[in-house]
Amino acid sequence: MITHEDIERLIRSALPDARVQTYDRTGTSDHYNVTVTSSAFSGKPLLDQHRMIYAALSEALKDGRLHAVELKTEANK
Amino acid sequence: MTQDLKQSIQDEIAAHKILIYGKGTKQAPRCGFTLETIDFFNQIGFPFEVLDVLGNDAKRQALTEMTNWPTLPKVFINGKFYGDTDILGPMLESGELERVIVDAFADVKA
Repeated sequence: MITHEDIERLIRSALPDARVQTYDRTGTSDHYNVTVTSSAFSGKPLLDQHRMIYAALSEALKDGRLHAVELKTEANK
Repeated sequence: MTQDLKQSIQDEIAAHKILIYGKGTKQAPRCGFTLETIDFFNQIGFPFEVLDVLGNDAKRQALTEMTNWPTLPKVFINGKFYGDTDILGPMLESGELERVIVDAFADVKA
């Protein structure tokens, strides 16, 4: 299980300007929809934008706190 | 990662125009995201293959290293890695996915 605050903290440690929205899909705090908006995405392919978030969340994915993420990324305009 | 394992994965990717590595099979998906991906490609209508790697840790690890992508499912189209439906969904909306798939199947038309 992981909280919104922990997800936000992990992502902001990699992308300090990130706006992080989460939605607990299952009510079990381990399957989340995560939407991230950051200037760090600008000019990067979607695949690489998602890799940046998976890298930031890798610790939580590995130790099982976070089981699954549906990810959406957007570059700041 | 052994070279044999890497080679067998590359052979699988080359053998299928659209290939999904997932958890479970088409008939019995064992993960919500794998099911979602199967539904996604059923709606698109081109033939695709699903390979179950749920019980094969060595292969999952090899796939993760080859793609630099930690999660399942993993989708390959025409030999190229495209992530999962979080990537393919926006590509479908923009029309890019149709171009990629039509291009992938261009040489199999009679």
